[in-house]
Amino acid sequence: MTTNAVINALPGQHGQAELACEDLGFAYGTKFIFKNVNLAVFNDELVAIIGPTGTGKSTLLRTLAYLIPPTTGHVLLDGKQVTRPSSTISLIHQSIATFPWMTALDNVKLALICKRTPHDEAVQISKKMLELVGLKADENDYPKEMSGGMRQRVAIARALAASPAVLLMDEPFVHLDELTADGLRKEIYSLVFNPETSLKSAILVSHNLREVVQLADRVYVMNGSPASIVDEIKIDLPRPRTERDSRFLDYIDQLYDELSLKTARV
Amino acid sequence: MDLDILIPLATLATIGRIFALIALSIITGWLLAYASIKSRRFENAYIPLTNVLESIPVIGFLPLVLVAFVLAIPGAIGVEAAVDFLVFDAVAWNVWIGVYQAFKTVPEHLLEVSENYNFGFLRRMRYLFIPHSIPRITSNIFSSFADAFFYISVSEVFTAGAVTANVCKGGVCSTFGIGTVITRFVVEGNYTGVFYSLVSIAVAVIIVTLSLSWLSRWAVAKYGVDTPGVIKRHAGRWRGRIAYPWHKWRAHQTFRGQPFPFSRYASRIRPHWHNHHIQSDRFNQAKIAKYACIVLVAAILAYLAYSSVKLIISVPIATWYGFLYQTPQLLEYVGADYIRVSVITLASLGLAIFAGYFLATHHRIGDVILPAIQAFAAFPAPTYFPLLFIATIPFLERLLPFFYTEVYIFLLGFLSCFYYVFFDFWIGVQAIPSEFLDVVRNHEIPFWARMRRVILPASLPYLITGLSSTINSAWAGMAIGEFWPDIAPKVSPNGLQAPFGMMYYITSNMAKGAIGPAAYVSLLFAVVVAIYGIFFTRNLMDLARRKYVVEEGIFAA
Repeated sequence: MTTNAVINALPGQHGQAELACEDLGFAYGTKFIFKNVNLAVFNDELVAIIGPTGTGKSTLLRTLAYLIPPTTGHVLLDGKQVTRPSSTISLIHQSIATFPWMTALDNVKLALICKRTPHDEAVQISKKMLELVGLKADENDYPKEMSGGMRQRVAIARALAASPAVLLMDEPFVHLDELTADGLRKEIYSLVFNPETSLKSAILVSHNLREVVQLADRVYVMNGSPASIVDEIKIDLPRPRTERDSRFLDYIDQLYDELSLKTARV
Repeated sequence: MDLDILIPLATLATIGRIFALIALSIITGWLLAYASIKSRRFENAYIPLTNVLESIPVIGFLPLVLVAFVLAIPGAIGVEAAVDFLVFDAVAWNVWIGVYQAFKTVPEHLLEVSENYNFGFLRRMRYLFIPHSIPRITSNIFSSFADAFFYISVSEVFTAGAVTANVCKGGVCSTFGIGTVITRFVVEGNYTGVFYSLVSIAVAVIIVTLSLSWLSRWAVAKYGVDTPGVIKRHAGRWRGRIAYPWHKWRAHQTFRGQPFPFSRYASRIRPHWHNHHIQSDRFNQAKIAKYACIVLVAAILAYLAYSSVKLIISVPIATWYGFLYQTPQLLEYVGADYIRVSVITLASLGLAIFAGYFLATHHRIGDVILPAIQAFAAFPAPTYFPLLFIATIPFLERLLPFFYTEVYIFLLGFLSCFYYVFFDFWIGVQAIPSEFLDVVRNHEIPFWARMRRVILPASLPYLITGLSSTINSAWAGMAIGEFWPDIAPKVSPNGLQAPFGMMYYITSNMAKGAIGPAAYVSLLFAVVVAIYGIFFTRNLMDLARRKYVVEEGIFAA
């Protein structure tokens, strides 16, 4: 399915995708991890990618960020082909990467170096991002002095400080307890649609189907070997979403069935 | 003997000697490392002593070697023992430290399994500690081999004036090997022989380098605890990412917040004996092994201590007073050599950072260039340096009449040591988690900011280890370069002689047979090195472990 077909197939979506890929494929040597992947994410949209472990979802995200160049196909950002990594597409890793020799504030400021932001302005922006993620009081702490949840919030603050248009999140809550994760999910959701940030859209990789239904507008199902997008499901629930809504559980069941069916077929 | 037979035989003799002594250093390293993790007191003495001994170049041990072996044991056996000791000195420390670090960083869960199954000493060594140390050993063998080969021209043949005049033919003590053969060819002016000897060494070095690379890759694939990526077999070859995993475990093990190496780790190894009759068998086994090690080590140390004392008391007291009087001037010589070492180290560091980073981030080019650098580094500079000297002395002497000696000393020092900081930094960059490099690229951090904020801090523990080895090895090149009167007798009658310097003082006195002054300066040097090691290297390493352990930046439950 080409990107244009994707755009045309979506009712209510108009104009260009914020981030899209066409016939994207990645191989180690001659072995393709995924192939012929076509997906798109639009403005004010959060899209999720689900699939069994080992299908290459994390690799797909890194390819979308162009941190690893694709073997086939290309990535388009606002209609233009992406040829190198850029902070406009910001990635939050599954294993939280915070530099242990820098304070939380310095970790966030790292995202502003390439923009040659004056020092005072960089400090101001970084403090604002840390406040946004609830770490105002911890800006001078080192990652070692923080919990996993706090470090993840530093990583999110850093990703946002770069003023990205697209946020790619690779299982960002997998290491966190449910309470912390729930709080962060709500924060991230509000950030995606917050006019104060430059963020226009987000792509989330997750194994947690509840989280996916809670956050995503659309869900791509990835499966196979080499992997590809085998299905796409629109989550048509009003926001804010609640698990008490029977349709919420129906969507979870639907996604579960999708994964089981696709796995069985494969 | 025909050159066609002599040269290959001599090369094989040298390589055989080196690898036999590497094997000995591995076995002793295993025993000493186990003793270190069992006894904190032993560890606290063992590590600083090893650091100090590693710093003293082979030539610094020459006075001790002469007294302990050449004069004490008659004939060829004494000379061979002396040569073996000098080669052992070149290879051992690197292997010992590597094995020690491997033993210290055995994963906790594996240790618990060994305790759970009541493993005794032999089983622990066989199933846990020794396999865990294999990747580390195979990576360190290369440095040991390069070190030993570098020294072959001073370890296989040496002279100490009147001291050796009475015990060795012509006053020159030597054993069969390629170092001896080349030295003989140089003295005779037989440059054809020198050339073919160099060719023979080059072939040997390439074969050894390629073999060790293969061995290292195999060891990592088989024994690495956390091998990154997928190890594939293609037509019998092991392939994996170049980021060898052993350095993921290096130098950051702590226990109850105590910084390594004064870790309380040793106290955790307390086997829980549940079954008495099995217990007593194993207990005896461990006790026998323990006491055997203690007796062996004590015997060796006692003999060396006896030789050292004998050396000391052989020097009259009036002479000792003379040495003490000269101490300020001798310390100036030490300072002058430290300036030379600093220049060499800075040059090595510069090359390491730029070339090392480039090769670490451009894998295809690195795959070709790195083995070539390894082979070049392993090729002993003292063997081809005379040819380089002969080719360049005519115009360098005219160009820099007062400074050309320093150029050659710098070059020889640089060639003897640049590899360590280069290779360690390269490994350090390889060990940086990919997530960090992703963040750097994602946020388009420019080169200098990237180096300053991420690459250098992330690789700091490796840089410090590399710098430490580089500084220790620079002395080796300087020891040869500062006093080499017969580097090319037919071209330059005076040869290569520094106007001043500690190494010049030691080697020139040794050549005259004045062991006392040479030994005294070696002792002064050892004290300076110990102080430097404790107040500089150790503190820097502690800082690196406290703040710059890059693996701690990745939070993955």
